Amino acid sequence: MSNVIEQIEQQIAKLSTKAVKKNTGVIRTVADGVAKIEGLSDVMYNEMVQFPGGVIGIALNLEEDEVGCVVLGDVSQLKEGDEVSTTGKLLSVPVGKALLGRVVDALGRPVDGKGPIDAKESYPVEKIAPGIMARKSVNQPLFTGIMAIDSMIPIGRGQRELIIGDRGTGKTTICIDTIINQARINKVGLASGDKNFRPVYSIYVAVGQKQSNIVRTIAALEAADALQYTVIVAAPAADNPANQYLAPFSGAAIGEWFMENGQDALIVYDDLSKHAVAYRQISLILKRPSGREAYPGDVFYLHSRLLERAARLDGKGSLTALPVIETQAGDVSAYIPTNVISITDGQIFLETDLFNQGIRPAVSVGLSVSRVGSSAQIKVTKQVGGKLKGELAQFRELAAFAQFGSDLDAKTKATLDRGSRIVELFKQPQLNPVAIETQASVLWALQKNYFDSIDVKNIVVAANSLKDYLTTRKADLLTKIRTEAKLTDEIEAGLKVAADEWKATFAAK
Amino acid sequence: MRADKKTKALAKQLFRLSIVNGTVSAEQVAGVLGWIEKTSPRRPLTLLKAYHHYIAAELARSRAVVEHAGPIADATLKMIEGAMTKRYNRVITATARSAPQLLAGLRVRVGSDIYESSVAGQLAALSV
Repeated sequence: MSNVIEQIEQQIAKLSTKAVKKNTGVIRTVADGVAKIEGLSDVMYNEMVQFPGGVIGIALNLEEDEVGCVVLGDVSQLKEGDEVSTTGKLLSVPVGKALLGRVVDALGRPVDGKGPIDAKESYPVEKIAPGIMARKSVNQPLFTGIMAIDSMIPIGRGQRELIIGDRGTGKTTICIDTIINQARINKVGLASGDKNFRPVYSIYVAVGQKQSNIVRTIAALEAADALQYTVIVAAPAADNPANQYLAPFSGAAIGEWFMENGQDALIVYDDLSKHAVAYRQISLILKRPSGREAYPGDVFYLHSRLLERAARLDGKGSLTALPVIETQAGDVSAYIPTNVISITDGQIFLETDLFNQGIRPAVSVGLSVSRVGSSAQIKVTKQVGGKLKGELAQFRELAAFAQFGSDLDAKTKATLDRGSRIVELFKQPQLNPVAIETQASVLWALQKNYFDSIDVKNIVVAANSLKDYLTTRKADLLTKIRTEAKLTDEIEAGLKVAADEWKATFAAK
Repeated sequence: MRADKKTKALAKQLFRLSIVNGTVSAEQVAGVLGWIEKTSPRRPLTLLKAYHHYIAAELARSRAVVEHAGPIADATLKMIEGAMTKRYNRVITATARSAPQLLAGLRVRVGSDIYESSVAGQLAALSV
């Protein structure tokens, strides 16, 4: 027994009794998710503070006599007089490949019930964007799998392309299709054993959405076997505004891990309109001065510092951002939409009228632009799709005369016929991205007038038939187009043979 | 009733007038209280409460409250006083307060800073 006592005494003697310094304060008021704290004389802006019961918060308002902290957790546990202490740390989230296939909240904690995440590293949620010299120009394509986008509004790795439109116009669908396409490309690329192949990992940040919508998105990704390459950061409408404010930054931190480690990632912010609303709510509760539409004066900075973190780095990887903005009644000149349009490298504008006419995806080719342009296109797409935008622009100009039918000259009629066929060709069902080699083949057939003899109302059926024919019977040709990425004489000859065979079988039906 | 901006600003001004050579002057405080009584400014109760708050916070910065579980020697108190005076570059007076809930060790509080060297504090740190 005395041996046991000696062991305990030795252990006590070994214990270090070094004093630990902490800076503390006392809660004076707690309301609406914000705590006003007296004291905390050493707290820094954006520092993480520790409340009783393991609840954490962020110091956002450093006033003369008190500190305003946003509480990231259960506010009901807190009361006046509770002691709060600084942690000396910035808020950080777990990062790494361990998050792939998982659904996490704004603080990186798993919410999918699949157990803890074995992340080896954590990155700060707020981080300064890479400087100019660290960046490289955007010239690698990111294929969305949507023909209208890949041919006319191409997106590159490291670009920020805004997806903007009214409610119910297909913004989220474009994002999900893009993620599914990355998963498909990843599977093919990784299976090919090509050492130069760079997979794209996706991060989907859901801000302020209905939980049923998030569940539906997860189910769609699971069904397409895309979830294994995706991280979902969920901050639904039921979450407090602080979590909705942080979620995009947490997603950016997760994406930055891939970028800093020489890999490519895609991040979708769905949507930044709700993000701005959550930030407005926090700012008003913190009694910050409000400006236009009651948004705080730094709402531009909120989105600019978030989106600037998407980049292509020299000697490392890239982070491509697809922010989503919801407009009201098609008003792109409102406050938040104009802010984000000026920050991003282009926008894809979705129109309700086009959607209602059955043109889905409802991309307005006239108003959509990619500031990176053909630098992010492979040669074959440039060769077959270079004229499309011009042809569609001419079609739109002449569309008003379509009602006169037989009174038009041959050239006008030809332009109208071609334009209406292009519009039909670009119709695509959701959750069905098309591989770039298939897109190039179909557009080649269009340019070589294989669709001219087909009635406009049968173009969709004809295009699907051609795609099926090519994927089932000409897989080698498609592989060749994908690997060589340009139209050689040999490939063109192969396409001619394939198109002629298909046309014969299609006409016979 | 919370102090409005003007009352707060006046309280702050009176507080600054109460500081002489970096410390709270009892004479100045008495003078301020006499002035308030004489002139009866707007919302005197709110003004006094705000003034009291600033003076209390300033006094807390110059006082080291040493909470101890067991007995504490005067020499230890003097040592803590000297260390804190050196650290904060102003005169700090140490006062002892018994706190059996600490189990063992000390906790020193100076203003918003806490120097935790107690068993209870270390156990609390482990539980977070």
